[in-house]
Amino acid sequence: MLRINSVNKTFNKDSLDEQVALNNVNLRVTEGEFVTIIGGNGAGKSTLFNAISGSMLCDSGEIILGDTDITYIPEHQRASFIGRIFQDPMKGTAPNMTVGENLIIAYMRSINRNILGVPSKKEKNYIRERLSSLNLGLENRMGTKIGLLSGGQRQAVTLVMATLVKPKLLLLDEHTAALDPASAKTVTELTKKIVAENNITTLMITHNISSALDLGTRTIMMDSGSIMMDLKGEERKKATVQSLLSKFS
Amino acid sequence: MSLTAFIGAMELGLVYSLLAYGTFISFRILKVADLTVDGSFVLGAAVSAMLTFEGMPFAGILAALIAGAIAGIITALLQTKMGIQPILAGILTMTGLYSINLMVMGGKANIPLLNKTNIFTYAENLGGRAYKIIILAVIIAVVFIILNWFFRTLLGLSIRATGDNEDMCRASSINTDSVKIVGFALSNSIVALSGALVAQMQQSADVNMGSGMVVISFASLIIGSVIIKNKNITMGLLSVVIGSIIYRLIIALILTTNFPPSYLKLISAIVVITALSVPNLKRSMEISRMGRGKNNAKNQLS
Repeated sequence: MLRINSVNKTFNKDSLDEQVALNNVNLRVTEGEFVTIIGGNGAGKSTLFNAISGSMLCDSGEIILGDTDITYIPEHQRASFIGRIFQDPMKGTAPNMTVGENLIIAYMRSINRNILGVPSKKEKNYIRERLSSLNLGLENRMGTKIGLLSGGQRQAVTLVMATLVKPKLLLLDEHTAALDPASAKTVTELTKKIVAENNITTLMITHNISSALDLGTRTIMMDSGSIMMDLKGEERKKATVQSLLSKFS
Repeated sequence: MSLTAFIGAMELGLVYSLLAYGTFISFRILKVADLTVDGSFVLGAAVSAMLTFEGMPFAGILAALIAGAIAGIITALLQTKMGIQPILAGILTMTGLYSINLMVMGGKANIPLLNKTNIFTYAENLGGRAYKIIILAVIIAVVFIILNWFFRTLLGLSIRATGDNEDMCRASSINTDSVKIVGFALSNSIVALSGALVAQMQQSADVNMGSGMVVISFASLIIGSVIIKNKNITMGLLSVVIGSIIYRLIIALILTTNFPPSYLKLISAIVVITALSVPNLKRSMEISRMGRGKNNAKNQLS
């Protein structure tokens, strides 16, 4: 599904501040896999996401999603088949537009609708239905400006926006880190449910090692721009928070 | 206020509400103060005046719409593709347009259109003294309906989202550069329409008629938003027209006193400064009041 072949990225090349962010990264993710990514600050996790989503181009290597080489496709074009959710709940939604309008944009964009089209009643109902599946009562607040919702609610809406139309790949960049523990738990549960129901290929960065092992089907650990550990199957079942912590350098 | 003055104010209020629609799109929706307006307004007037002079008033209106859109596209390209700061991009286009406008007007600073047929002439027998108001009201109704529909379409929603949160747009696969180009083209096209109608209504175009248009349109926007607080798009579009009419009525009232008309632009500027700064001043005054209260409490304790 996703193939990352020998991707390299160095910031501030040939200067004193030179920093290798991605060092010959190779990764193969199969359809429907849910990979959690852990690693210290500066390990290259977010840089990897930036490379996949196209907000940054790599120095060398290639990124292939499905059958398409996306290495040089601009970010906004990739976004029609890659969903991305950021740590900051403010980043994923337009605060002065209503919950409904935000969802409509996300929905119509991903189905490549005529740019002068307006959503039909059926489509609006579908969007409302998806929102009500969160069980947060947000379907009754479609006309509320999204900036008035709490961080957790905003992040939940963002999750629906990213998955209204099934993306080929979902990137979750510490999307619960800025939330209070209760909201973080809710959003984590929702993530689990939505990803499982729609069988979405997902990569998730987290600093919470127990949720890295609890969620998903595979866990990788990054350090200094490389993947230093890749756990799946039996090996992953045996791993504990303690055993992973000891690997943190 | 005499009836003539009232009708005059209504006419100006309506025709300049189109100008305010233009800045509504750039300032309120895309959140950029677009100074191209001062130039694209005259561009519309110049194009419309030249074609009216040749006996083609309707073609003049159409050509103004297109010319305005091109001016907007240039500003948007300067901002997006060439990375020039939004305000500076507007100033550059506006400055360049001054020469273009003179060129369009055949090197003359003023084009008189007395005794030329214009779009208002066709309706002279309609509605007595208010015939211009009727025509303008119809045009504004059409623009209102189009914009109200447009800002609910995917493209319209994308323009609004781009002004609101650019990060989110890129993550939703919106090409923010293209969206801005469409937004500024639409905005300046409507501004040029306003200029085109003003030229035909006042039967002349002047190369300096655009100076201060940005501020006048901001004043209308602000008055409108004070009167209609609801910020959904329909109410927003409605508030612009109401704001523009009230602004012109205020000016007409001022003119009935012995106040020298040369101060009008200063007054517009002060209206805008006041409206933009009041929320901030209120807040800092509140903070200092709260602070003082705390200090007093401390002094009493000691």
